Amino acid sequence: MTKRIAIVEDEAAIRENYADVLRTQGYQVQTYANRETATQAFNLRLPNLVILDIGLNEEYDGGFVLCQQLRAKSASLPIIFLTARDNDFDTVSGLRIGADDYLTKDISLPHLTARISALFRRQEAFKQPVSDEHITKTGPLTIDSLRMTITWHKKPIDLTITEFWLVHALAKHPGHVKNRTQLMTDSKIYVDDSTITSHIKRIRKKFIKTDESFDCIETVYGMGYRWLSDIDNTSEHD
Amino acid sequence: MTSRKAFQLRFGLRAKLLLLSSFLFIIPWFGYQYVWEMEKYLRFGQEQTLVGTARALATALHERENLFKNQASFLPNVEQGKDLYGYQLTEAIQLDGLHNDWPYFSQRAHFYNHQQQLFANEPLSLNFKASVGKYDKYLYLFFQVVDNQVIFRGKNSRSIINNDHLALSFSDQNNNLNRFIISNKQAGWISAFSITENTDDIPKPAPHIQGHWLITPQGYNIELRVPLKTLGDKIAFAFFDINQPAGEVVSAIGSADPSKLESLGTILVPSPEIERIVKGMRYTNSSIWVVDQHHRVLASAGSLKSASGVWHEKEKPASESEKSSLWYQFKQQVLLPLYYKVLTKPPTDFIDKLYDARHLSGEHIVSALTGKATSQWRLTTDKQALVLSAAYPIFINNKVQGAVIVEETTNGIRTLRNRALEKLFTVILAIMILGALTFIIFATRISSRIRHLSTQAEQAIDTQGRIIGEMSVSTSHDEIGDLSRSFTTAVNRLSEYNHYLESMSSRLSHELRTPIAVVKTSLENLALQEKQRLSTDENIDKSIDENNGINPYIERAQTGINTLNLILTNMSEATRLEQMLTRTDKVVFDLKTVVSGCIAGYRQVYSDFTFDLNTEISKLTFRGSPEHIVQLLDKVINNAVEFSQDKVITLELKHRNGHAELLINNNGILLPELLSESLFDSMVSLRNNKKQEQPHLGLGLYIARLICQFHQGEISAENHHSPDGVTIKIVLPTKV
Repeated sequence: MTKRIAIVEDEAAIRENYADVLRTQGYQVQTYANRETATQAFNLRLPNLVILDIGLNEEYDGGFVLCQQLRAKSASLPIIFLTARDNDFDTVSGLRIGADDYLTKDISLPHLTARISALFRRQEAFKQPVSDEHITKTGPLTIDSLRMTITWHKKPIDLTITEFWLVHALAKHPGHVKNRTQLMTDSKIYVDDSTITSHIKRIRKKFIKTDESFDCIETVYGMGYRWLSDIDNTSEHD
Repeated sequence: MTSRKAFQLRFGLRAKLLLLSSFLFIIPWFGYQYVWEMEKYLRFGQEQTLVGTARALATALHERENLFKNQASFLPNVEQGKDLYGYQLTEAIQLDGLHNDWPYFSQRAHFYNHQQQLFANEPLSLNFKASVGKYDKYLYLFFQVVDNQVIFRGKNSRSIINNDHLALSFSDQNNNLNRFIISNKQAGWISAFSITENTDDIPKPAPHIQGHWLITPQGYNIELRVPLKTLGDKIAFAFFDINQPAGEVVSAIGSADPSKLESLGTILVPSPEIERIVKGMRYTNSSIWVVDQHHRVLASAGSLKSASGVWHEKEKPASESEKSSLWYQFKQQVLLPLYYKVLTKPPTDFIDKLYDARHLSGEHIVSALTGKATSQWRLTTDKQALVLSAAYPIFINNKVQGAVIVEETTNGIRTLRNRALEKLFTVILAIMILGALTFIIFATRISSRIRHLSTQAEQAIDTQGRIIGEMSVSTSHDEIGDLSRSFTTAVNRLSEYNHYLESMSSRLSHELRTPIAVVKTSLENLALQEKQRLSTDENIDKSIDENNGINPYIERAQTGINTLNLILTNMSEATRLEQMLTRTDKVVFDLKTVVSGCIAGYRQVYSDFTFDLNTEISKLTFRGSPEHIVQLLDKVINNAVEFSQDKVITLELKHRNGHAELLINNNGILLPELLSESLFDSMVSLRNNKKQEQPHLGLGLYIARLICQFHQGEISAENHHSPDGVTIKIVLPTKV
């Protein structure tokens, strides 16, 4: 079955460019230029994935409103914010109201499509039984690379695709320092250093939410980050 | 420029206002002038009054011949020593041969010597001093005789002339000659004998002439008195000297020849009749004299010391309640001593020796005796008081026979003037103190307001020209309030403009992002299409395939758009950092670890550079955001690396006075002086236009400064020499 993707974007050129590239990838794409038409369409039938811009014509936060409405309709619908706004505040707000990822418009199309397919793959994977071949364990951390889920002490940590890729890249080789460039490549984003810093910060926060004593992501000043899975850490919890 | 300005005298608003207010001093000057003018008119008035008084008195004396008749006033001239003047004595004289009770004896006595000798058979061995005075009903005479040998009358001698004797002659009221000889047998009460022209007549004792003969070391003194009723207006006396007992007269000295009526001199005693008239005028507060044509005083009344004119009012003594009042005390102890530094109090105690008691001189008298009424101003002989005198002639038979002189001091006017000036000074002092206080308060208020405004304006803008604070708007409705408001408006507008400039890069990047995304996605789509076309028509065109499969133009366009994208990201980095910093929590970490960790990282990244860290501390606990400190180091090191010529970067970490100090040295080109302050501002770059690998917007050091400010620290750049280079100094307080 062909996946249906809805793009809500007021800028016609970008909208059509995205739509074209996604169509060539074999998706069925519907485009909406404003919130009203999108809401009407979504009331009739929900798509499989939604790409939202935040500012929609006159509505400065139109994308956020739409995201909230969609999230109310479906808890599992993948929603991606694709916006020109690159500030921290909007990123946090977007993710907090239930978006699966928050991307800025300078992301390259291959990176975008990789995320979309990853989201679909994850959705698919949830429908299948858990298979051990995709699961790697590092201390209390369990990574399911197919479902793109992470558990810490058997408790699931809710991460976005980007965050998952970051944790995955770090935890794959515990103890090895990953510099920012490597992390960017692995997480399929191309941003500046401070964005990586804020991503890492958010990830730490999410872990700390479940386990206050979480201290596995170490900052190696001047170099990058590394995943610590030393005996002390594991022995404490096992 | 500024250094020169510092040497210039600062002339503040307050000083200017004070200078302007000094024009107020004109007011007391005018007041002073006015009082002086008033005094001038008063003096003129006094002069008129005085002349009037003199005229009135002279009018009473005109044509009263009998008043002058028995005086010597009709004489064409007077001869000193011969024409005598009987001084008015104020106290009774004791007849004891001593002149202690004669006032001013030495001045009033006339000295007789050989010039007045009547005859001399031998060299003169005699001289004497004589003084004449009048008291009550007697004429007193005092003689102080210097004689080498005093010869008394022999005990059994009948003759009264063969010894030292005094011959005294005077006319009586009927102009008959009375002759007397004073001839003593011993010192003591005198023996007076009346003689006649006939020498054979036995001398009769004359007991109405009383006196005392006193022997002195130089000779003898004779003090005697004659009843006035027996006395006319002619007199003569002569001393006859005998040098051996019962000898012949050897010489004689005297005022005139006593033997004949015609040869007698005159005597003038102050006239009781004129005095009676004059006494009626003494209530005029003036000193009055009547003189004859020989300037001799006929009568006088009043004293110059009490003659201060009609303006003189006795000051009412302050009542007890007034005396105890604070104002009175203050006035007496502070104000009056102050005023009398400028003013002079008219002296109550002055000495005027111009007039002798019997003889007056002065131009005004001379002028009056020629028939012209005059008045003149003169100073007392001790120059203490100013005296106004008016002289008016007395006519008898169309001839000037005397003059009336009226004198007053200006003390009355001066006292009046002083009192007016005292009041004026007090009022002016009060006005000036009040005015000055008002001025000072006003000027202080204005200057403090302006200073406050200037401080506010200075504080609102820092040395780099950035707006760092807001100005509070003044609510007052005057010019300074307007100035404050326009300042505030200007600062606010500048602040808005600065804010606009600062946020311009992020705004620009935001606005550009959408069109760039359009281009970028379009190019990517184009590339994808190209790829697909190539994969389908693989066999048709192999030459393109060899070129990595993609149209080189698309590839170039993509490279360009990626660079553009990077620039945009960098442009908004500062804004994002600012936003991020506001939500960043500070944690405690070891600064030393962070710095050395970073340096280890840089050694990998910039493998051909040498990084040296000089530090003595092993641990430096610091509270802040380590990620941002790393970012700060990244920016500074990146800068240092780019400007380094010898590929050596030296870092120094010190901990002093609660501050962490980090110095980053690189040797290379120096900073231009102008830029050293603005180096850390947004969009300032020193890089020359040589080809660069990465785009630069001059935001790196701006970001470094933002991070330093977040940690309440400072960043500065300085040149260092030998070898030339730049040191970036970061100072961060550790006690936050």
